[in-house]
Amino acid sequence: MVIGWFWKKRHELSEEVLERGLVLFHTVEQAIAGEKALKKAGITCRLVAPPPHLRKGCDVGVEIVLMEQTAVEKVLKEAGTPFIEVVHPKGERELLNIEKVTRLDNYVMVKAGNMKLTFDKNTGIIVNISGGGCPDIPYLYSQLVDKHLEEVTRPKELGRTLCALMLDRGWERALALWKGEELCSS
Amino acid sequence: MLLIAGTVPVPEMPLVLSPAHWEGDCLRLAEYDLPYTQGTMAMVSAALATTSYLGLPPPHVLTAGDIGTGSGTRLIYDYLAEHIEELHPEVLALHYCQPIIALMKKLYEAVSQLSSPPRLVADAGSMYAAKAANLSPHFDIFTPDPSEIAFLADFEASHPAYISRYLFENMEEKVTDLIEKAYACQGASKVLLVKGKVDYVAKEGKILHEIQEPNIPAMECIGGTGDTITGMVAAFLSGELDPEEAAVLAAKANRAAAEIVKPTPATRVSAIIDAFPQVFKENLCAWSGICIR
Repeated sequence: MVIGWFWKKRHELSEEVLERGLVLFHTVEQAIAGEKALKKAGITCRLVAPPPHLRKGCDVGVEIVLMEQTAVEKVLKEAGTPFIEVVHPKGERELLNIEKVTRLDNYVMVKAGNMKLTFDKNTGIIVNISGGGCPDIPYLYSQLVDKHLEEVTRPKELGRTLCALMLDRGWERALALWKGEELCSS
Repeated sequence: MLLIAGTVPVPEMPLVLSPAHWEGDCLRLAEYDLPYTQGTMAMVSAALATTSYLGLPPPHVLTAGDIGTGSGTRLIYDYLAEHIEELHPEVLALHYCQPIIALMKKLYEAVSQLSSPPRLVADAGSMYAAKAANLSPHFDIFTPDPSEIAFLADFEASHPAYISRYLFENMEEKVTDLIEKAYACQGASKVLLVKGKVDYVAKEGKILHEIQEPNIPAMECIGGTGDTITGMVAAFLSGELDPEEAAVLAAKANRAAAEIVKPTPATRVSAIIDAFPQVFKENLCAWSGICIR
């Protein structure tokens, strides 16, 4: 049965947040423009005062759903709104920035956080993507697998979530390996 | 009834509730054909292969399109929270969804009010949400991989992308410690099946089973091979096995399917799923005493 169901208005940020992130800007004007661009793109956000230990630019930041960090950065870049960075609310956590590389016969698997991307070292074709749990990952699988590392739209341009951001890091490392690092069988 | 809830990467897909069945090379839900690739449909396919073999009713699937906006996730969770009593599943398995803590809490509140609540299974984004909502101990089984057990063991982390570096480094070698930590910080479900080079089944803080053979490294590369394990676990639970036994059988079956298929890192999960009937026929009776004539 197909269920007719009304699209619900998005809840207020305070009701739904898995965890909040904060976009920091140099100026108040940029923060206001950033909030406007994000809301126009349908991203839940609000202007807030950053806590003192996170103030790097102006005294206004934009609070976001941390899960949507990838989409937020993309929208701000496309809107031409400069921002300093997206930070974890407690200011003490950083996104994982290490990758692990495993070689299996003619293939190379790059692991970044909870995501793995495997490519054929002879052709540069992405042959598999595994891991992750966000809804855009099966979509990214359909968009990237069987395509060349150099020809795909990068994951953070297609996806919206932190899983997509991790996959993007894996893709970036895989591309660097394909372009230059020696690929030795192990 | 086994009810599997999770999104599919088809933006225009409305909210659909339907039993799953095969239609050629596709899974059919209502009038929709969906390929059984990585994600919710790989899980559903593995569950359907299992229920078909065991002669159980097919899994019902509640799904909607979502490519990361959370739109389909909201439809699924809102519908579940409002209709869980009339659906009254014996097993509720939650899968690829945007991890939205408020929705998970709302659903759990509805589930907890049922006179006979379902067995609860979670993997992927739904597992992330359950952990972030501090609901892990209320779930019967989670099926994390090593990076996800590191997340469950990290009290502060909101997503596997934010786990501590020290937990991420050499995590495959530290899985047993991470399992212990996950239970200690209330990040673990009652039973855990940690999928990896070695599959660990743990219950109430103790590792009860380690499944290591056959070890086929290519499986780690193949998108959906974790989803198949979760699907089989859910299906075995719907056949009234307990979570510990369901976990052991699912882990063994996945490895046995890989042994038949002999995958490369480029193999698709559909090839693994297609081998399950043979795996069950050849092994299930010996493994569990479940003998289908």
